[in-house]
Amino acid sequence: MAHAVISCLHANLAALEAVLDDIDRLGITSITCLGDLVGYGPQPNEVVELVRARSIPTCQGCWDEDIIEGLNSCECSYPSQLAERRGQLAHHWTAAALSDDNKAFLASLPLSLRRDNLLFVHGSPNSQHEYLLPDMDAFAALERVETAGADTLFCGHTHRPYVRDLCNGTIQVRVQGSGRTAIHPEERQMELPVRRIVNAGSVGEPRHGNTNATYVIHHEDSGRTDIREVPYDVERTCRAIEAAGLPPVFAWRLRHGFEYAERADDASHVCER
Amino acid sequence: MSRTLLISGPPGCGKTAWILSQLQRHDGACGYLRLAGFADEGLQQARDGGIDLSFLQDQCPGLLDLGDPDQSLAPHPDSLLALIELPQFHSPHQAGLAGMDRRIIPELDALHLQPDRHLHFGRDPELPPQDTLDFSVLNTWSRTLTSSVWDPASLSSFWFELVNGAYGDVYRAKAVMNLPDGRAFFCNWMVSQSGSQFLPLQSVAPPQGRPDRLSRLVVQGRNLDPAGIEATIEDCLLSDAVLELQQAPLRQRQQQPSRST
Repeated sequence: MAHAVISCLHANLAALEAVLDDIDRLGITSITCLGDLVGYGPQPNEVVELVRARSIPTCQGCWDEDIIEGLNSCECSYPSQLAERRGQLAHHWTAAALSDDNKAFLASLPLSLRRDNLLFVHGSPNSQHEYLLPDMDAFAALERVETAGADTLFCGHTHRPYVRDLCNGTIQVRVQGSGRTAIHPEERQMELPVRRIVNAGSVGEPRHGNTNATYVIHHEDSGRTDIREVPYDVERTCRAIEAAGLPPVFAWRLRHGFEYAERADDASHVCER
Repeated sequence: MSRTLLISGPPGCGKTAWILSQLQRHDGACGYLRLAGFADEGLQQARDGGIDLSFLQDQCPGLLDLGDPDQSLAPHPDSLLALIELPQFHSPHQAGLAGMDRRIIPELDALHLQPDRHLHFGRDPELPPQDTLDFSVLNTWSRTLTSSVWDPASLSSFWFELVNGAYGDVYRAKAVMNLPDGRAFFCNWMVSQSGSQFLPLQSVAPPQGRPDRLSRLVVQGRNLDPAGIEATIEDCLLSDAVLELQQAPLRQRQQQPSRST
């Protein structure tokens, strides 16, 4: 059975509609969303309502959390003062535009979803704000998947889709205690089975080099994962950005395939507030 | 024997870079004057505001400012190399000094400057041939930024957006920008060149408040969006409180005695 995973919609209705059309066209009926339904984009209500109307199981993203909890949860993650100011502007605009009913929906979202040995989160099992980048230290990446008790971890947040297999994982532990092991420390080694991290990319705010929306299809029977790119009417969203009174530079960035705000330099950064 | 050269050319052709190379090769005293140039039909001259002079004086300590009558009218050594920069959109019709724009003569006379030679980019093979674009429409926008200090990461984002067209079709941008650690950068971009040039000035201010060196941004292009540029700049500049937050640890580090190993 094939299963679609979408993430980081960022209030971009044209992109979401195009991705859902693509999924429908492929005859896939099972979809999971990894959050960030809102933020930066011009149609937060329309996007939340479409996800609700399609009854897509969804976990909460960092923007979904911030809209409910307030800005304190992650402004320290911004890579620059400019990015922070723009993030705050987008936050205030979105908070004002989003209906109470849709805010309540975002507040009700779980932090993770699990189906058998598959785990679905926005950032990492530790936090919606943590980035699991493709070049992250392999041991740290394996630790995130292993401690979550999953074989395959689906995440988003980085806006760059990828599939990473963590093979030949071993953990070696040297135990030194009292008595016999004080003199002869005991070595233990555990062989770990293959673990996989799948990043679904971004529907509404690409960071992979062009303007196409991205998502992934997971074939549960074969274990194969396909990354899909879907072109959509970018100009429609750009016009909506300008009509909404959001900064025109947001439209320019989207039109050229640049993310609204760069990710933090420290990819492993997790807000401690 | 002193020499006085008039160097002219369109925006971004490399006048200042060529002048710098001549100044650095000359052993004796050097002087520099930048003339404002004249607007042409649909073509506005950039309000340089002293960026080029400031950059050249940083790179060539002792460089005389020949726009200052006290310096230009004072007696000079025989070895003086005087370089006069003139922004000029179109190539002169005549060769050599005969092609010089006559409108600059009163200003030069007042400063007792008389060019021995006139070289124009795109006309004289002695000058590098590249980057002499023929502009048909050119608007200009500039802003004084003296005492302003940039968040470095924000400056990087802003410059990227600026030269890639987020605020209109920019053909030319140059600036001197202050950073919180006391350094300043000469930022230079031209549409015909790949990539921007970021040259650190040699003079570094102490990390104590706002530096008083000249800082300015000049942009030339078409369909410029001054309001958008201004709004983004405001989001990039550091407040007094944030500046102090960034400078205090730098001062502390400077005050600590270096540990011997």
